[in-house]
Amino acid sequence: MPEKIVLDGNEAAAWGARLAKVDTVAVYPITPQSGVAEALSTFIADGELQADLMDVEGEHSVLSVLQGAAFAGARTFTASCGQGLAFMFEPYFRCPNFRIPIVMGIVCRDGITPQCVWGGQQDAMTVKEVGWIHMHCENNQEITDTVVMAYKIAENHDVMLPVNVCFDGNFLSYAAEPVEIVDQDIVDRFLGEKNVNWHAALDPERPMGIDPLTGLTPEGGAMFSRYRRGQCKGMQNALRVIPEVHREWKEMTGHDFAPLIEEYRFDDAEYAIVVIGSMTGAGKDAVDVAREKGQKVGLIKIKTFRPFPVNALIQTLSKVKAVSVVDRSVNFGWNRGFLWQEIMATVPFLQKKIPVTSFIGGLAGTDITVEHMLETINVAENAAQGKVVEETIWIDQL
Amino acid sequence: MQTKYLIIGSSHAGLTAAEEIRVHDQDGALTMVSMEDCLPYSPTILPYIVEGKVDEKLIYLRDEKYFTDNKITFLKGKKVVTVDTKSSTVTLDDGTKIEYEKLMIGTGSAPTIPPVPGLKEAKYHVLRTMEDARKINQAAETAKHAVVMGTGLVGMHAAEGLGKKGLEVELIRGRRRAVLPNYFDGNAGKLIHQVFLDNGIKCNLDFQVKEVESVNGKSKVTLSHGEVVETDLLLVGTGVKSRMDFLGDASGVQVDQGILVDTMMRTSVENVWAAGDVAQAADFYGDERILTAILPDAYEQGKVAGLSMAGDETVIQAFEEIGGQASESYRGGISMNTFNFYGNRSFAVGLSLVSEEDGFEIDTMLFPTSCMYQKLVFDGDFLVGAIGINVTLDPGVITNMIRYKINLQGKKAEFARSPLDMSRRIMWESWRGAIKTAG
Amino acid sequence: MGNAYNTLAVYPEKCNGCGECEKACAKVKANSTDVVHSRIKVLKSLEDGFFGPVVCMQCGEPNCVKSCPAGALSKNPETGVVEWNEDKCVSCTICTLGCPYAGIYYNPLMSTVVKCDHCGGDPECVKVCEPKALEYRPEASVYNDQGDLEDLFAPGLAACLGCNMEILVRHVLRHVGPDTVLAAPPGCLPGVCAVGFNGFTGSKVPSFHPLLTNTASMLAGLRRYYKRKGRDVTALALAGDGGAADVGFQSLSGAAERGEEILFVCIDNEGYMNTGMQRSSTTPYGSWTSTTPVGPSLPGKANDSKYMPLVMLMHDVEYVGTAVTAYIDDFHRKVEKAYQASKRGFAYLHVFSPCTTGWRYPGDKTMEVQRQAVATNIFPLWEYEKATGKLAFTHPVDNPASLENYLSMLGKFRHLSKEQIEHLKNTAAMRVNILKAMSEQGLAGYQNLKVAV
Ligand SMILES: Cc1cc2nc3c(=O)[nH]c(=O)nc-3n(C[C@H](O)[C@H](O)[C@H](O)COP(=O)(O)OP(=O)(O)OC[C@H]3O[C@@H](n4cnc5c(N)ncnc54)[C@H](O)[C@@H]3O)c2cc1C
Repeated sequence: MPEKIVLDGNEAAAWGARLAKVDTVAVYPITPQSGVAEALSTFIADGELQADLMDVEGEHSVLSVLQGAAFAGARTFTASCGQGLAFMFEPYFRCPNFRIPIVMGIVCRDGITPQCVWGGQQDAMTVKEVGWIHMHCENNQEITDTVVMAYKIAENHDVMLPVNVCFDGNFLSYAAEPVEIVDQDIVDRFLGEKNVNWHAALDPERPMGIDPLTGLTPEGGAMFSRYRRGQCKGMQNALRVIPEVHREWKEMTGHDFAPLIEEYRFDDAEYAIVVIGSMTGAGKDAVDVAREKGQKVGLIKIKTFRPFPVNALIQTLSKVKAVSVVDRSVNFGWNRGFLWQEIMATVPFLQKKIPVTSFIGGLAGTDITVEHMLETINVAENAAQGKVVEETIWIDQL
Repeated sequence: MQTKYLIIGSSHAGLTAAEEIRVHDQDGALTMVSMEDCLPYSPTILPYIVEGKVDEKLIYLRDEKYFTDNKITFLKGKKVVTVDTKSSTVTLDDGTKIEYEKLMIGTGSAPTIPPVPGLKEAKYHVLRTMEDARKINQAAETAKHAVVMGTGLVGMHAAEGLGKKGLEVELIRGRRRAVLPNYFDGNAGKLIHQVFLDNGIKCNLDFQVKEVESVNGKSKVTLSHGEVVETDLLLVGTGVKSRMDFLGDASGVQVDQGILVDTMMRTSVENVWAAGDVAQAADFYGDERILTAILPDAYEQGKVAGLSMAGDETVIQAFEEIGGQASESYRGGISMNTFNFYGNRSFAVGLSLVSEEDGFEIDTMLFPTSCMYQKLVFDGDFLVGAIGINVTLDPGVITNMIRYKINLQGKKAEFARSPLDMSRRIMWESWRGAIKTAG
Repeated sequence: MGNAYNTLAVYPEKCNGCGECEKACAKVKANSTDVVHSRIKVLKSLEDGFFGPVVCMQCGEPNCVKSCPAGALSKNPETGVVEWNEDKCVSCTICTLGCPYAGIYYNPLMSTVVKCDHCGGDPECVKVCEPKALEYRPEASVYNDQGDLEDLFAPGLAACLGCNMEILVRHVLRHVGPDTVLAAPPGCLPGVCAVGFNGFTGSKVPSFHPLLTNTASMLAGLRRYYKRKGRDVTALALAGDGGAADVGFQSLSGAAERGEEILFVCIDNEGYMNTGMQRSSTTPYGSWTSTTPVGPSLPGKANDSKYMPLVMLMHDVEYVGTAVTAYIDDFHRKVEKAYQASKRGFAYLHVFSPCTTGWRYPGDKTMEVQRQAVATNIFPLWEYEKATGKLAFTHPVDNPASLENYLSMLGKFRHLSKEQIEHLKNTAAMRVNILKAMSEQGLAGYQNLKVAV
């Protein structure tokens, strides 16, 4: 019988790594991620997880030791956020190019300055272009399950890319919820045999040079391009593999999570709100309330943000006349949300253009309430009727 | 059988050639033949065997393991009877034929027997092989008296050896009226002669052997002035000749007193080399080719032959084309020897026999009572020869000063005053200098 | 491969003709005070002040051996010593005809030839030679120990002519062997093909380009996982001073503190030579670099170098050594110790590595520059082992050679003023004082130290 225990989001992430029987765990504290590091350290100290605990001197080394371990064949895990992510950026933006299947939690945190140690997705959104797979979770159960699934996705031979399992600081990291822990033997069967360095290893039994200089000559340039195209292919394949993995997980555990995007109460929806991460709960509650009032609204939750599920979204967006997009981060330059920008990039693929309104809120650990969400629904409804708001709506100004 | 390299003779010339071949070619089939049924040894050791100074078991120059380690097929107790250079085949006395790609002849020399009436028919000994030494030792067990014919190295050595064994020894000169006339001048010869006399060796240089006759197992030796000496042991040591009887005219190998070779020890026939006593090679001083029949030349020539056989021919050719000589080539024979007698040591190198009349400058120092003699021979500013008896000079240092033609301009007098220190310093500095220019 | 042999090296320019070597030899070989028995001879000429020790050179192809009809002389294949067997010798002295240097000669008092036998590998003459004109050089062990091992680098690396790094890389890799993963952070080393170019690599062990910043960390993760799996894979870093002392320092320091089992070699060429000779924290005071140029307003680098070896020692690591390839036996000894230590914890080897291109000296002087750096105490050779807690000089220099001489060899120092040279001297002296105190009194010596600058 699977057991249910109460975990906060950080512990839930650590449990995911524990179930995946990772070999190497690198930790460095940072609010609001520290709980992940502590939980993993405790698992290892208590002998519940047979892994090397690499309590290194900074996030830069956190990711670096995992790179080394991965090339030796280890399954690896860590988590970070905010400034930590910024500091590890140098090794971070190299991981996908190495094609090593590291899984790392991003306990999403807003960026300084102004000084702030609380939730917000500015960190994850800022690094999204580097080549990691990004999956955002809605609740703690999804965190645990997604970490496990992330290994199956990352280590898939058609993918071989690192995965960030993102969940909101404060809202999920510190929120306690009951989480059903899947039996270990089911996870073992689900993940199967581990082989993370079949393609590139630092192993005297298979000597090779990892990451030689490439480029300059036409042949070298072609080699470089080949690597880049390969990465794109991996991303593309992930769009196929992620649903397969979720389906298999559901079959083995009964846990059902939408792999790429989730449609909520979409049957006859005429307009929709688009959400990501922990705000989804408030969004769904608001949709329920609005539906009670007779508003024909649906909700789209973005689970997989990278690779961006364009095709799935085209189908979904085709069903509605307008959307409101809620972001927990700011894209300076567009001065709107990052998710808004992605939805806007999808709109040209639709049969007809639809209005897309950008909401930004929940920064620096503040809440996005059901009331806020109802407002986004109203704006979408108005837009569907032709009253389009062009400017960004800052939720704290509502 | 077939072999890439075939070496006849397993003494100094043959052994050094083999060693050199293996420097350049570790695997090429290498065969060495020796007519004697024993491990390699040096004929030079034989007087000491006779004297009993060293045990026969100790003196072999190589052991079986050496041949296995170096992948050399060593055929001992096999005598080469013919060499057919057209088919590149050598035939042994047991009928075996060995086909070679490259042949080196290092068969040394054999004693000459002077045309003294009756000698050939009489019972006499020579000293060239271990077998000879054994026979002498056997005879010496019962003999009381010995006659040694010849005052060259073999004769002198043997006389001392037999004398020390307790035999009464009479030493009789060969053609020339001197002791060791090939190396030592009159002053030196007199000192050496006196030491032999003092040690009870009868030796009157005025007489020669006129006739020999065997009587009742003894030899009756008639001397030139008529005296008759009856002896138990007659040893002939009157000189050597190159051992090349297996080379018929058909072989095409040009010979004179020995096998004629060039400075790479090549004979007149392709793929055939010769080195050591058997070879007649360049002279250090003149253009004639000469026989030296000494140990240092045997290994020197053997090394050159080995290099020429297995080394990089293009290098050698390149040198020859520009009219030069490969530094590895043979520089020409210099007479040299050491001679230790009754605890006295002596040496003679280079033009040791010449005199001032020949146009040389000569510096001598003679102390007859303490049996000391030093002779330095200069040709202009160059040292060209030396003799030392009981003086502290290094024969090798002196030899190499001669060989490398060290210019003593302005330093000759000083050199004659303290030749030991100065010769050492000169050679030492020449070595450091060589290193400097090479670096 | 054949054998190489230890040598009794003679440095005539240092000989003062004192004759102590002769006395020592006569004593040990004949228990006599008569130097006739000495097998080493000092040639002297008071006229021109010439002194030259003469002793058997133990020739590779000894003519004395070839000359001997009695088989009494032979070259020992293990030690290389030309050995004389008294039982076989008949005193014919033909051997003396073969030797041009009086290495073997007749001793009239003993009525036999005599020659040097290296005292079985510990020559007495060397021990008494005050001016160090005689040295027993053990470099041969390097050839014998390493000669048959595979060179784990391809021939023909693309390094500058006279580059020290190539020597270093080949020796280190050969020594540590194929069960190694090599980290070569950005710099000349990967550039000359340690990691490779467009699909080709010059190293036969697995190698990679870490970031300039994370060499120690990547290796740490790798080594830990192999250890967990029960495999002993050597984690080797060959990093420049930038990757060790500057931007790579954090990960290095972290790994050292955690005791990660890494063999970290810092190839210190005193700056960023690969990117065009910019200064690093190990660039010496006063040095010209392209970012510490020399002009009316700037006299070269304004600060002293960071002395990494001591910094690393203070991390309480298993092993710290300073080495140069110019003393290759010492180098290998330290690589071995560092290698062994890296199986227990962190090992740090700091190699002073002149750069012919960036330091501005002719490529054939790379060894000379290193030796001078050692002789002047600019780069003292020492090692520290945690197991014993001892810091020891491995090439102590009590009377440092002229620093001016060393500096004048290098273009990057040619502009130095008297004051700047004085400064460099003081820095070197201070460092040596610290090291001395530590070597004499253990690490506590560091605390007790009163440095007079
Ligand atoms: C008693 C004595 C004392 C000497 N003292 C000195 C001295 O003090 N200083 C000095 O420099 N030199 C001395 N020599 C000379 C010196 O020994 C020789 O110069 C030297 O040995 C020549 O070497 P080699 O290799 O040319 O020939 P050798 O030493 O003569 O050897 C010839 C080899 O060829 C083999 N051989 C010959 N014919 C055949 C054949 N047909 N088939 C197969 N094998 C054959 C023999 O078995 C032997 O192995 C002395 C010689 C003698 C005999």
